[in-house]
Amino acid sequence: MLRILRAFAWMRWRVLLNSLERTAARDTLQRLSLAVEQLGPLLAAALFIPSAAALAAIAGYAGYGVATSGARPVLPFELLRFVLLAAVALSVAGPLLLPATERTNAVRLLLLPIPRPVLYAAQAASALADPWILLAIPMVIVFPLGLVAGGAGAAALVSLLAGLVLIAVLVGLSSLSTLVLHLVMRDRRRGELLALGFVVVLPLVTILPGLLLEDEDRRERVAERTEPRGIETVPSWVWTAGEAAFGLLPSELFRQAVRQSAGGGGTGALAPLALLTLTGLALHGLGLAASSRALDSPASSGPRRAAGRFAGRTPRVPGLSTGASIVAVNQIRLAIRTPRGRSILISPLLIFAVVLVVMHNAGGGAALGFMRLASGLGLATFGAAVCLLALMPFAMNQFAIDRAGLTLQFLSPLSDRDILIGKAVGNGIAAGVPALLCFAGALALFPGGHAGLWLSVPLGFLATYLTAAPAAAALSATFPRAVDLNSIGSRSNAHGLAGMLGLLAVAAASVPPLVIVVAARGSGNTALAPLLLLVWCGVCLVLCRVLLSAAARLFHRRRENLALVV
Amino acid sequence: MELAVETHGLTRDFGSVRAVAGIDLAVPAGSFYGFLGPNGAGKSTTIKCLTGLLRPTAGTMRILGMDPLADPVGVKRRIGVMPEDLALFDRLTAEETLSFVAQVHGIDGATAKSRAGDLLELMDLKRAAGTLVTDFSHGMRKKLSLAAALLPAPRLLFLDEPFEGIDAVASRQIKDLLQSFVSRGGTIFLTSHILEIVERLSTHLGVIAGGRLVAQGPIDELRTGVAGARTLEEFFIGLVGGAAEASTSLDWI
Repeated sequence: MLRILRAFAWMRWRVLLNSLERTAARDTLQRLSLAVEQLGPLLAAALFIPSAAALAAIAGYAGYGVATSGARPVLPFELLRFVLLAAVALSVAGPLLLPATERTNAVRLLLLPIPRPVLYAAQAASALADPWILLAIPMVIVFPLGLVAGGAGAAALVSLLAGLVLIAVLVGLSSLSTLVLHLVMRDRRRGELLALGFVVVLPLVTILPGLLLEDEDRRERVAERTEPRGIETVPSWVWTAGEAAFGLLPSELFRQAVRQSAGGGGTGALAPLALLTLTGLALHGLGLAASSRALDSPASSGPRRAAGRFAGRTPRVPGLSTGASIVAVNQIRLAIRTPRGRSILISPLLIFAVVLVVMHNAGGGAALGFMRLASGLGLATFGAAVCLLALMPFAMNQFAIDRAGLTLQFLSPLSDRDILIGKAVGNGIAAGVPALLCFAGALALFPGGHAGLWLSVPLGFLATYLTAAPAAAALSATFPRAVDLNSIGSRSNAHGLAGMLGLLAVAAASVPPLVIVVAARGSGNTALAPLLLLVWCGVCLVLCRVLLSAAARLFHRRRENLALVV
Repeated sequence: MELAVETHGLTRDFGSVRAVAGIDLAVPAGSFYGFLGPNGAGKSTTIKCLTGLLRPTAGTMRILGMDPLADPVGVKRRIGVMPEDLALFDRLTAEETLSFVAQVHGIDGATAKSRAGDLLELMDLKRAAGTLVTDFSHGMRKKLSLAAALLPAPRLLFLDEPFEGIDAVASRQIKDLLQSFVSRGGTIFLTSHILEIVERLSTHLGVIAGGRLVAQGPIDELRTGVAGARTLEEFFIGLVGGAAEASTSLDWI
């Protein structure tokens, strides 16, 4: 058993080290690209040691405080409590965000001469390397030392035991979460639905806090309504049940066991400790069952998928050469047929719909944290901006996302210009269609405002996109990243540097249209804004063609690297 | 003799590693040229250079009389390639993949549809025509990639391990098809580790080892040139060198 655990620990360690070592970089740019990608994990690793030391020190101080303060609340202990609560949450959610293929390569594991329960134990033990569990370990070990220093020796023993059980529970949670995710994702259709749900809901979650922060006006409006609503209308049993459920969380059971034992109630600590142990046993029992299920049928499953009603038909994009048109159509197909691609189309609409409903209920205004939307024009501009931002993972990695399909394009009689123009148009359509729907929705529900300003919104969007598109092509050619558009989390993101520089490019490209509109309004000639923007769009079109030619030269020089990356 | 593929001193370096070391290929037009070599010998790198996926570090190339570095698009109009990674879009159906290839080669809709139908039938992919490539098995992908290479009716085909993972029935049909392609004047440049297939199909052979071309010419001439070599396997092992006797070096097995 120990030999197998050692082999698994060694395997995880080598995988980690090998991922940081220099890979087959072909030139300086690619070396830079790889180095930037490795910067994040290296920084995290560098920060890990001081973080772990600081948390351990806090835990030790918390232990001392608990031993010497009696029943009074101890601030460091409360901090420890919430850090452990976060570890519980991350043990459940972490496998969704981090790639777990090394842990769940069931076919490879099945071939090993290891009994299944031992295999599960080895897999589960590898969860000890999860950063949140690694950070929790020194805390639960140093905390009892603080208790000993404070003179609570017996409580220290109980808390050490509770801490170790808590770590086992966290490992069980992480393993079970990983295995359940694996079981869900191995059915391709189910996996894609989950991935789509995740990438669509995630951006929505990020704006919810802003929406929930009601400003003073809205609160006043709510107060004027006939009867109080909200928190008062929730039945008291809901709160009681909520509190009881919260108390059953592993980190809370750990807290109760420690508090009871430090307060002299040694027998009182037994109940939470027993409950924590039972939770651990149940989680590992379920984990073992899930592991057996995964090993029983390790291959991915699910019916073969047809491409839908429009399969086989290849529409022609007017105004483009045959080659550019087919590249553009393929780019749109990629957006429609992959979870990450669909998120570009759906998530802006979902965010827009939520803001729209909030605005409608609030009588025409919505606060989004740092900004406030007060009119339909603001909402339409917000929708256009969100659509452009949602395009980032696609546009800033527009070549590598084709994977082997890019090789097919390289082997086909397509010019570099055809590929770049096709990609730019395809991306433009993928962002433009939802932006147009947002515009139509805002106009239909909040039609107030100068017609010139309404016309300025799509023109501003077009000008911004035309200016940013060559930058996106150049960044995609310079910093390609092999991605999986079916995946959730970081595996489908563009290269970090391309994403960041692309964001700056979009921000910079949006400045001239904004300046034009502000200047036209300031001079009292609002009607002039769309005309000026139309002229600016013409300039941007010329600029786009010139810059795309430059990007095509760069793309030509980078073809080999791109072919090797995908 | 008209050459479909001609290289002089073709070299490709990856940093300090020389993958292809100045090879002079001469592939006669209308021949079935088998390109053999042990793993890591430089076969795929050579094919990538010839098809424009990699730029040679040094040397010159002529493909169907054209310079692929000067006119890459022109060359690609005349060749078909089935590369190592199969080069397929995951999110296109088989039908759409062939439609893509037809469009970029400027083939009209009716002809493309007819050719795609024939190829899908031949490769036994008719029922999977509307299925996304991502759901294809390895063998199905291989067949589709071969169909995509054949669809534009090229004059020169580059095939990197075309028979690996293909079932016996389709393999037989493909062999017949390729032989018919050559008999009509087409040229095939093929790499394969299945020596029996190369021996049966090829008219000419090139052998690469350690990045260097160690033999080239008509297959019969080459075979008779190596003493004691009756089969291609004996010729090949005699040329590139075999491993130590397994029975003596691995007696712990």
